[in-house]
Amino acid sequence: MSLLRVENLSIQFGGVRAIQDLDFTIDPGTVHSIIGPNGAGKTTLFNLITGVYRPTTGAIYLDDQPVTGRRPNELARMGMSRTFQNLQIMMNMTALENVMVGRHLHLNRNLLACLLRLPAITRGDRTARKRCIELMERVGLGGYINAEAGAMPYGALKRLEIARALAAEPTLLLLDEPAAGLNARETKEIDEVIVAVARAGVTVVLVEHDMKLVMGISDHILVLDYGRKLAEGTPEEVRNNPAVIAAYLGNV
Amino acid sequence: MADIRPSGYSKHRKPQTYSRRLGTRATPAQVLLSERVGGMLTLLVVIAVLPLLLTNNYQYDVVVNIGINAIVVVGLNLLIGYAGQISLGHAGFFALGAYASAILTTRYGLHGALALPLGALGVGLLAYVIARPILRLSGHYLAMATLGVGLIINIVISREAWLTGGPDGMYVPAIEVWGFELYGGPVWYWIVAAVLVLAVWLSLNLIDSPAGRALRALHGASVAAEVAGVDTTRYKVMVFVLSAVMASVAGSLAAHFSEFVTPDKASFFHSILFVTMVVFGGMASTFGALVGAAVLTLLPQLLADFASYEHMILGLIMMVVMIFMPKGLVPTLSGLARRRRARS
Repeated sequence: MSLLRVENLSIQFGGVRAIQDLDFTIDPGTVHSIIGPNGAGKTTLFNLITGVYRPTTGAIYLDDQPVTGRRPNELARMGMSRTFQNLQIMMNMTALENVMVGRHLHLNRNLLACLLRLPAITRGDRTARKRCIELMERVGLGGYINAEAGAMPYGALKRLEIARALAAEPTLLLLDEPAAGLNARETKEIDEVIVAVARAGVTVVLVEHDMKLVMGISDHILVLDYGRKLAEGTPEEVRNNPAVIAAYLGNV
Repeated sequence: MADIRPSGYSKHRKPQTYSRRLGTRATPAQVLLSERVGGMLTLLVVIAVLPLLLTNNYQYDVVVNIGINAIVVVGLNLLIGYAGQISLGHAGFFALGAYASAILTTRYGLHGALALPLGALGVGLLAYVIARPILRLSGHYLAMATLGVGLIINIVISREAWLTGGPDGMYVPAIEVWGFELYGGPVWYWIVAAVLVLAVWLSLNLIDSPAGRALRALHGASVAAEVAGVDTTRYKVMVFVLSAVMASVAGSLAAHFSEFVTPDKASFFHSILFVTMVVFGGMASTFGALVGAAVLTLLPQLLADFASYEHMILGLIMMVVMIFMPKGLVPTLSGLARRRRARS
């Protein structure tokens, strides 16, 4: 049984077909990478899967349930979470509060209880705060707990995206270029976090340009080019695929 | 996946001790300086001391009006400052609360203490019905739509003279409690103060709760909030209704306090005044809302001596403050104080 199944998926922006007739499945508990040149439609595919965009045609199934056209918050309820390549950080909140937003669905958010600050709310928040601090330390943000998000450097914000996504305790985690713009040491740290998350049983879908990272941790790779599937398979298969070498890896 | 904190990182900094100190336990001094405790204490002290300085009815009148405006602005700040949605029609909800109290007490003989919650309930329902379609809009479009809501309420109140007394307004009886009429500044001072403290307390509670973080999150990064599971539409509607109800309650209080209501309570200018108080005092700051309401209610009174120059001077002061303190009075000043403390 597949965790995520995409059938005949297409989206059109005006005359541009960003994704065309795409089919693939993702098995639970695997690391699935999506690679391709810039403009291949990787982020568009993420936006389709997570409900940010509605597909023009095609269907998406999560746990064998049709979820095409569902809003992101409904998909989040089904265990989906993601990070954004072009950071989507709440700059009006602290770093810790950003991560705590990730725990939204795990907390009591009854309006009356929140307005009256019932003990259940403060207790829940205290536990959540502790967990979120641990998460931030795990991704190397221990020094930024109470920092204003707006005052944090780019590399830290990338990790903040990951911490917020992990705070939701997803079963399916989509990471959009988590290592972009990070230096070698930071990339290695993120690499370790992703491996640990995958080992804990979370299904990871990864968009990434860092081939060393992709080849090292992926169980399965999907290669996109101009919105179409160019190739698919294990890292070994993809690496030796002549079409991939021609279109993407070029002279590697 | 217990311990995968990147090795090597802690050699450069000591995140552990730093975060433990700041993240989970605050010192008594930090608690006292926090917005929740420190701000609330300050408000209570001001409310307790202020009557000692008030010597006549006129002064009570101004202070009670500050309190009434502050209740509206605290609610409006939740909508504008925290959730990032604009409303140019909240005077409409204020007026509906005022007229609900006026009409239910005079024409239907209801007790004032019953008319107030009934009015608030009605306004809440109306706001809910309005909010669902218009909060799909944003920016200028939302501003236009809420402006329209305010205008329609204003027109209905002015035209339906059989019910509202039309442009002449209508008389509102004083609330009677155990044979004692609630009348005059000193009595209303304590009533309005109690409701204001309640409004501030609820507001402070909300913003520091899961629901409040959801509101701020949809303001800061709407898509990311959705992805985290926040039903952004639902929260926008919720905060719109909440702020409308608070405006309605303030309107009812104003009606019983002044014992008279007129359609200009629902005027566009009145709506703008509320929004200006939010922005002037400081967006996303509950105590900024109080300061904004206080300063902008007080200033016209203080400038009354300048007669025809009054509006010019008021406009000038507002321009200067907004140019030099674009975040509003309270956030700018508290930021300044925080930086000074950090330096010393």
